[in-house]
Amino acid sequence: MRRRLPLSIQILAAIGAVVVIVPVLALAMRAPWGRFGTIITSESARAALRVSLEVSLAATVLSVAFGVPLAWVLARAEFRGRSLLRAIVVLPIVLPPVVAGVGLLTALGRRGLIGTWLDRIFGIQLTFTTAGAVVAATFVSMPLVILAAEAGFRGLDERYEQAAAVLGAGPGYTLRRVVLPMTAPQLAAGAVLAWARALGEFGATITFAGNLQGRTQTLPLAVFQHLQTDPSGAIALSLLLVVVSIAVLVAMRDRWITGAQ
Amino acid sequence: MALRAQLLVRRGDHVVDIGLDVDDGETVALLGRNGAGKTTVLEALAGLVPLDEGHIELDDRPIHTLPPERRAVGLAFQDAMLFPRMSVLENVAFAARARGVRARDARGHATRMLSTLAPMVRGDADPRTLSGGERQRVSLARALAANPRLLLLDEPLAAVDASARPSLRALLHDTLAAFPGPSILVTHDPVEAMTIADRLVLLEDGRITQSGTPAEVRNHPATRYAADLVGVNLFEGTLEPGDTDVGILRTAEGELTIAWPDGLARVHTTGVRATLSPAEIAVHTARPEGSARNVFRGIVQEAAIGGSRARVRIASRPPLVAEVTTGSIERMRIAPGANVWASFKAVEVRLMVPGIESDTL
Repeated sequence: MRRRLPLSIQILAAIGAVVVIVPVLALAMRAPWGRFGTIITSESARAALRVSLEVSLAATVLSVAFGVPLAWVLARAEFRGRSLLRAIVVLPIVLPPVVAGVGLLTALGRRGLIGTWLDRIFGIQLTFTTAGAVVAATFVSMPLVILAAEAGFRGLDERYEQAAAVLGAGPGYTLRRVVLPMTAPQLAAGAVLAWARALGEFGATITFAGNLQGRTQTLPLAVFQHLQTDPSGAIALSLLLVVVSIAVLVAMRDRWITGAQ
Repeated sequence: MALRAQLLVRRGDHVVDIGLDVDDGETVALLGRNGAGKTTVLEALAGLVPLDEGHIELDDRPIHTLPPERRAVGLAFQDAMLFPRMSVLENVAFAARARGVRARDARGHATRMLSTLAPMVRGDADPRTLSGGERQRVSLARALAANPRLLLLDEPLAAVDASARPSLRALLHDTLAAFPGPSILVTHDPVEAMTIADRLVLLEDGRITQSGTPAEVRNHPATRYAADLVGVNLFEGTLEPGDTDVGILRTAEGELTIAWPDGLARVHTTGVRATLSPAEIAVHTARPEGSARNVFRGIVQEAAIGGSRARVRIASRPPLVAEVTTGSIERMRIAPGANVWASFKAVEVRLMVPGIESDTL
C-alpha cells in the first residue's frame, strides 16, 4: 500500500504544477485561432522561423564542435587552473543573457577588443548579421554541451581508454572508436539541450546582433516585436515556439526526462 | 633476459620498488595480498602509470619513455574491460584496426584467435552478455591478437565462477606455455600460481620478499606470508595409469594415487603437476581404516598453531603439509618427533596435465 502524502505537500505540489501549466494553457486559450494560419505563414513569421532554425542549428553544431573537445580537456587533462577554466566556461548558464550580449559587443562589436581587428583586417562585421546571432546563441548554449559531455567523460571508466592504448590505439583513435561511442547518449542530450537553449535565445541576440527581420530576428525576437503592436500575433508566434519546445521534450523523453540512460 | 625492469612508483603512501627480469618463454606469477602493489607493477610495465625512478628494457631497448600504444605490451585486465559498444569480434580485431589493417584482414585474424581461445563465443555477440569466464577468454584473445612481446595478465580468474575456473586455468596454462615472450601473471591464488607459473615472485608492501620456482618457495618459504600462501602441497612427476579409474603420480619424493581425469588417454604422461589442499589431509595416530587410497606414515617435523587451525608438516614419502584443528592436535598429542599417519582421497588431488583442457582442478 502506498502511503498518502501529507496535505501540505499536496497543496504545494499543486501550486507548483499550476505555475507551469497556466501560462501555457493561457496561450492556447487566448490564441487568435481564426488568424493563426495567416499569422504564422506571414512573411515576417516565416522569416523569423527560418532565421531561428538556421541560427539554432548552426549554434548547436559549433557548440558540439568546440564544446566536446573542451569537455574532454576538462575531464582528462591535468593542468593548473583547470577548476577556474571550468567555472568560467559554464558561466553563461547563470549569466543574464543581456550581460552576455554586452560582453560580446565589447569583444566582437565594430569597436570591440577583437571586432576592431576583424573589421580592419578581414572586413568582417558580426553585429547585425546572422553570423552575429549564431555567435550569441553559441555563447549561451555551448556550456550545456560542455557540462553534459564532461559528465559523460567523467563517468567513463578510464581503464577503457587504457585498454585501447595498450592495444596500440593512439589518443585520436581511442576517442573516435571507444570514448565517443560510449558517451554518445550524454553527448546527444547535451546537443539537444544546447539546441533548445539556442532556439529560445533572446537577450544576448538582441543586444549583440540586433533585431533585423530576415537576418537576426529569430522567433523570440519576433514575438517581442509583435507584443508592442499586435499582442494576439505575439500569442500565435509564442504557441509556435511552444510546439517546437514540446517536440524537443518528446525527442528527449527516453534518455533525459525519465532519468534513464 | 627479454625483460629487465627496475621500477619505483609512488602512489600516495604506497611505494612499489622492485627489480624484475623475465626470460623469453618464462611465466612469472606475481603473488601478493590486496594492496601489495601487484597491479601497479603491471600498469607501470604497460605504461599506464609513470615511473618515478627506474627503467624498463624489452629486448635491450628502453621502453619506459614510450607511451602505452608503442610498447608492444599486452595486458588482460582483471575485469576484461571489453569495449561494450562493439561486438566480440570487433573487440578482438581492435588492435589490428588501430594499426590501420584492413577491416577484412583484421576480422579474419580475430576470428581465428577467437576460435582458438573462445570457441564457445559467437563473434557477433554483445560482450555484456558473456559470462565472466567467456569475457576473460575474449580479453586474452584481444590482448594476444595485438601480437605483444610481453604479456601481462591481471587476476584473470578473480571474476570467474568457480565452475568455469578449471577450463580457463588450463587454457591459461597452455596459452602462457606457448607464448614465446616473457609473461607475468598477477594473482593472489597460490594454486593458480603454482600450476601455471615457472617462477613465483612474492610481493609484500611493494617489495619482493621471495623469488623462486614453486618447489623452492614451497620448501623454503622466506616469510610468514610465503609459508601461508604456498602451504598447498605440490607434486610434480610422471603420471601412469593404475587400476580402472585411477593413476599413479610418481614424483622424486614418493608416489600418490590420483583419480584419472576424464578425457585423458590412459598413457604415461610426463610433466604433470598436482596440488593438494592441506585441509583435505586427515592425520591419525594409528593406521586409518576406510576408503582413502592414499595413506602415508611419517614423523611430524613441525606443528604450527594459528588460532583454531594448525599446520602439521610430516616427513612422509612424499612429504605433506596437513591442516587440522588445534583441538585434535592436543587430543592426539601431535608434536615434532611424533609418529603419525596421513590420509587423503585420490579425488582430492588436483591435476594439471599439459595439453588438455579438462583437468580435475
